[in-house]
Amino acid sequence: MIHVKHLHKSFRVHVRQTGWLEAIRSLLNREYRLVEAVKDISFTIEKGEIVGFLGPNGAGKTTTMKMLAGLLHPTSGEITVGGFVPFEQKTEFKKMMSLVMGQKSQLIWDIPPMETFLVNKAIYEIDDRTFQQTLDELVELLELAPLLDKPTRSLSLGQRMRCELAAALLHRPKVLFLDEPTIGLDVHTQEKVRRFIVDYNREHETTILLTSHYMGDVTALCDRVMIINHGTLIYDGELDVLTEKLAPYKRLEIRFANIPAVPWENYGEIVEIEDGKATLRVAREKVAEVSSHFLQHFHVHDINIQDPPMEEVITRAFQEGFNDS
Amino acid sequence: MIRKYIALLRMKYVEMLAYRLATIVWMTGAIVQPLITMAVWMNIDPSQSDAFLFYFMAVIFVERMTSAWDVWELDREIREGTFSNYILRPLHPIHWAVAENIVYKVLFLVILAPVWAVAALFVPALRFDMTGGQTLLFLMALLLGAALRFLLSYICGLLGFWITKVTAVYGVLEVISLFLSGRIAPLSLLPPVLQQWSIFLPFRYMIGFPIDIITKAANSHDMLQGFAIASIWIVVFVIALRWIWKAGLKKNQAVGG
Repeated sequence: MIHVKHLHKSFRVHVRQTGWLEAIRSLLNREYRLVEAVKDISFTIEKGEIVGFLGPNGAGKTTTMKMLAGLLHPTSGEITVGGFVPFEQKTEFKKMMSLVMGQKSQLIWDIPPMETFLVNKAIYEIDDRTFQQTLDELVELLELAPLLDKPTRSLSLGQRMRCELAAALLHRPKVLFLDEPTIGLDVHTQEKVRRFIVDYNREHETTILLTSHYMGDVTALCDRVMIINHGTLIYDGELDVLTEKLAPYKRLEIRFANIPAVPWENYGEIVEIEDGKATLRVAREKVAEVSSHFLQHFHVHDINIQDPPMEEVITRAFQEGFNDS
Repeated sequence: MIRKYIALLRMKYVEMLAYRLATIVWMTGAIVQPLITMAVWMNIDPSQSDAFLFYFMAVIFVERMTSAWDVWELDREIREGTFSNYILRPLHPIHWAVAENIVYKVLFLVILAPVWAVAALFVPALRFDMTGGQTLLFLMALLLGAALRFLLSYICGLLGFWITKVTAVYGVLEVISLFLSGRIAPLSLLPPVLQQWSIFLPFRYMIGFPIDIITKAANSHDMLQGFAIASIWIVVFVIALRWIWKAGLKKNQAVGG
């Protein structure tokens, strides 16, 4: 569905100096610097896949996504999305895709979301019956009924984001680009949005590419992740493999009535030992053994086994690289 | 396309209702400058008071009917990145602007025309008689004027792809147009050189030309020439707009995350 080959994007950026004298000098003699935002990225996404696009701020995620949606003109390289070259701005292309930007609303600010929906209905040439069906479905899934007639500006961020998704899906796009769809949302709303995306993908076999800062989004939604840093694709593969490769440990938290005096280092790497609580980093294959040992021999209040936070995994990925992938 | 326009017009109408107060302020605010200018001219030459009264009332009407604000909108939308949402949709963004112009100008017409009619009952200087043909010519000139101002404003707005705060550039054009369009003074009062220039520049056809038709200052030769030059400018602007749109999309940085 999406094919990208040797994609490059560079921007010419005016170098600004601080200070009065420098500012005057730069008026006369502007200096430019070429910033390579995306360097030689290639990948393929099949129909119906949900792929997470990860990377720190400024890594090139959004730039890539904007090129896929046809907003930016690539400096070089090839892109096809559903057989179209995005930048040619063909009407058929626009009708088969949607881009949702968490920070740039397509809803018209001072009037109710329903007005935007009606405009989209006309612009995307959706017939009455399909429109009604799609709208009913989206209203139900996203719980929009009470929001449709309120001015967009009076909606909360989470409510607006749900309307935003609906506006983007009315024409039933085959490809959906989600740029930070859960940014700024509370945990509960994030959860709702995620569940909706998963259900929607299953129901309609929509191909979805998603960027996010929240690892929760990625772990909940994507089997496959692409990690980009400094404009280069450094990992493209299954999420599980990534986790195992980068974090062959689990985090074990045990609460005791009285913390025992045992040689903790024999069980795993010590993260923290404090009043009544021990936190260890234990090799994956030893987790079951270690936890049952403590449960059998000591008075344990509570035990908690967790994957290391994805943030930690990713940070490590950026630091250590992916030489073997 | 008609369905799309119906939807856009409806939406812009709902939006306008949400901005009731702003719309009223915006409409009445624009009246102040011509009124003051009129007072100045009446003071300079009291014998022509009636002519100035009629002229500047016509300026108010024509100026409102041809006013263009698109450069401000585009400047903001491109700078803040929200313009991307229009580029993504399968309809050229200019249609949103055209629909908005239609809605607001119909509102202006619905308010200003009856106000004029009522005022003419009490103020003889506001009365005029025009044949059907003249009225038609006036309306055509008005439409051309509105199209010219709209296109110029939209073209300048699209320069926002290259320049941040492009409204500064437009501000300069507005000042030039203030003189050459006949807003400050009837064009017949300008120095001959400027009068000569104004014939070939687009600004006259934005405001002064329709007024010349309604005041019967333009004879049939002037009108023929006026319509021809205005039409040429329309073609020039449309070509420029298409070119700038294409080049602008390439240049677009789709700012913001």
